[in-house]
Amino acid sequence: MSYLSLKAMVTGVTAICLAAAVAIEAKADATSCPSPIPFGLTTALTGNLALLGTQARNGAEFAVDEINAGGGISGKKIALTTEDTGASSTDALNAMNRVLEGKPLIIFSSMISPHVFAQTEVVTKSETPFLVGATNAKVTAQGSKWLFRTHVHDGQLADLIPEYLVKTLGKTKPGIMAVADDYGLGASKGIQAALAKLKVSPAAVTSYAPSDKDMSAQLLEIKDKGADSLILFGRPADVTLVIKQMNDLGIKLTTIGNASIVAQTTLNNLSAAEADGGYAIGGMIPQTSTDAKILDWSKRVQEKYKVPADNFTVSYYDTVYLLKSIIEKVGCDKPAIRDALAATKDWNGMLITYQADPQGDLAHTLGIYRNEGKTPKLTGPIRESGY
Amino acid sequence: MGQLVVNGLALGSIYALVALGLLLIFNTVQIVNFAQGQLLMLGAFIGISCAVTHELPVAAAWAITMVAMALVGIVFMVLVYFPLRGRPAFLVILTTIAMGIVLENLALIVWGPLPVSLPSPIHGPPLRFAGVVVSMHQIFIFVTLAVILLLQFFFLTKTRFGILMQATAQDLHTARLVGIPVNRTIAVAFAFGAVLSGIAGLLVAPIFLAEPTMGGSLGLKGFVVSVIGGFGNLPGAVIGGLFLGLIETFGARYISSNFRDAYAFVVMIAVLVAWPRGLFGEKSSEKV
Repeated sequence: MSYLSLKAMVTGVTAICLAAAVAIEAKADATSCPSPIPFGLTTALTGNLALLGTQARNGAEFAVDEINAGGGISGKKIALTTEDTGASSTDALNAMNRVLEGKPLIIFSSMISPHVFAQTEVVTKSETPFLVGATNAKVTAQGSKWLFRTHVHDGQLADLIPEYLVKTLGKTKPGIMAVADDYGLGASKGIQAALAKLKVSPAAVTSYAPSDKDMSAQLLEIKDKGADSLILFGRPADVTLVIKQMNDLGIKLTTIGNASIVAQTTLNNLSAAEADGGYAIGGMIPQTSTDAKILDWSKRVQEKYKVPADNFTVSYYDTVYLLKSIIEKVGCDKPAIRDALAATKDWNGMLITYQADPQGDLAHTLGIYRNEGKTPKLTGPIRESGY
Repeated sequence: MGQLVVNGLALGSIYALVALGLLLIFNTVQIVNFAQGQLLMLGAFIGISCAVTHELPVAAAWAITMVAMALVGIVFMVLVYFPLRGRPAFLVILTTIAMGIVLENLALIVWGPLPVSLPSPIHGPPLRFAGVVVSMHQIFIFVTLAVILLLQFFFLTKTRFGILMQATAQDLHTARLVGIPVNRTIAVAFAFGAVLSGIAGLLVAPIFLAEPTMGGSLGLKGFVVSVIGGFGNLPGAVIGGLFLGLIETFGARYISSNFRDAYAFVVMIAVLVAWPRGLFGEKSSEKV
């Protein structure tokens, strides 16, 4: 090989490497993203899950509006398309199909697990990063490498609530009451299994339909069977009714449950005496923060939507900002965004840090709360073991 | 046991009130209004707007709600019943279902998804005897149901307008031929039916909270109660309501709380098998 041809070859290889490097750089640059950057969201805005569903919309939309007001992502605005799922899984799938027609870069779905189960296959086929707040532990066990969850799940709560009740509060004969849907019954089973590990048998296991308004029969059963405490798992509206009716019936039990017990929506409809002493373990809520910026954020959300921000609002808000930081680094290539989500480590959100586990769960920090009158107080954050 | 009886009767009284509104309309135009539960929800939210949002006295909130619900009933008749009058009954029934969905979503837009409580017009410590607790609001519900039942019974059987309503129900065309102001009679039935639902909403909101989807289940239970008691039969509706409230409460306590809603429909089917015209007999069985 002559010197000249060797020189030409080295030059050629260098040129190819340079071109490839430039191409990779261009691919990773957010300025190459479409304008506007299309995000899709399906959530329940009507029907009996509307209160929950609007929290997802409020959190995501509030973050998108803030980012757009600040100039967008590398100068590109985000266009958030929201479709209403209503309360049915069939409608949730139809809503997702409508969102997919817009070829979004990112898709968010709600915290309603049956809806996410119905949607996962079609989103996975579309090879689009899929971010959810659905709380059924099995949501991230479906084998989709595109699905990520940014809210704590029932499996974490089901272990921690019995442990805290038995080991910290010293109660050994709890009654269990849960809403009779995928959310509540799944949690109830998990709680019973966790209690069994602690060698504790519940005094009574009861449930109520999501539309039920009178839970006095269940409360009387729990009282008659000699329970020393109540594990309560439900939505804010029905948790409010349970606590009110417990008070009306003169039943005084240490109550612990999911974040609904300390949700602002619940506390708004309870007297200080009714709310006082209730414990909750769940996603982090903004109301207990001492950070003036977070309290101001919470106030602005309330003013805009007339609905108090809760743990889900925070989770969806954080998720949008997490994606912003990822897109700024890797651009708008979907597999690159997916890989970056899967590699998330110690990303600081509003109240917690996010870290991806192999299944796609990013949230591993929960809050333990206790109501003092109508004011929830953070007893302390608790991290899932291993995080 | 005693506590279950009290709570079952209180729940049953609410079902009975929904059924009474349903039957007032049915007894006049022979149509089942499946939006009765949503009218209840509307009454609760109008009351909340007055008493909570605008901080009016609860008594004024009740009065305004009843007037507003009477107007809502008339608008409902104009939009739902009149355009489809004379068409097959199932068309009107389907339209009432659709109207219920519209009302639910309208409430979601106007009042939002948050559950809200309405203050009770009656205050005071609960009565306690032999370990049984009866709240003042529960007593108010029992008294209101009794008064409404008596007034409705008196109105339909002893007043000229009530008799005109019954005549219209029996044969609308003949009633018109003999000079009965049929449209006005029907309008009064719709207005009163909506007012009764509004009262049920005002009674429910202090204990069960108000939210846009609260009417669906209560409206359906009102229908079940009407079938159990015998469609069109006023005392039947009240006794059917109380009976269903007790069945649900005792079933949830002693069988399983998982099937609470199912008890209503199991009882309805059982009653229809044993007594096809309901426990107290139907007033009319031509249209359902």
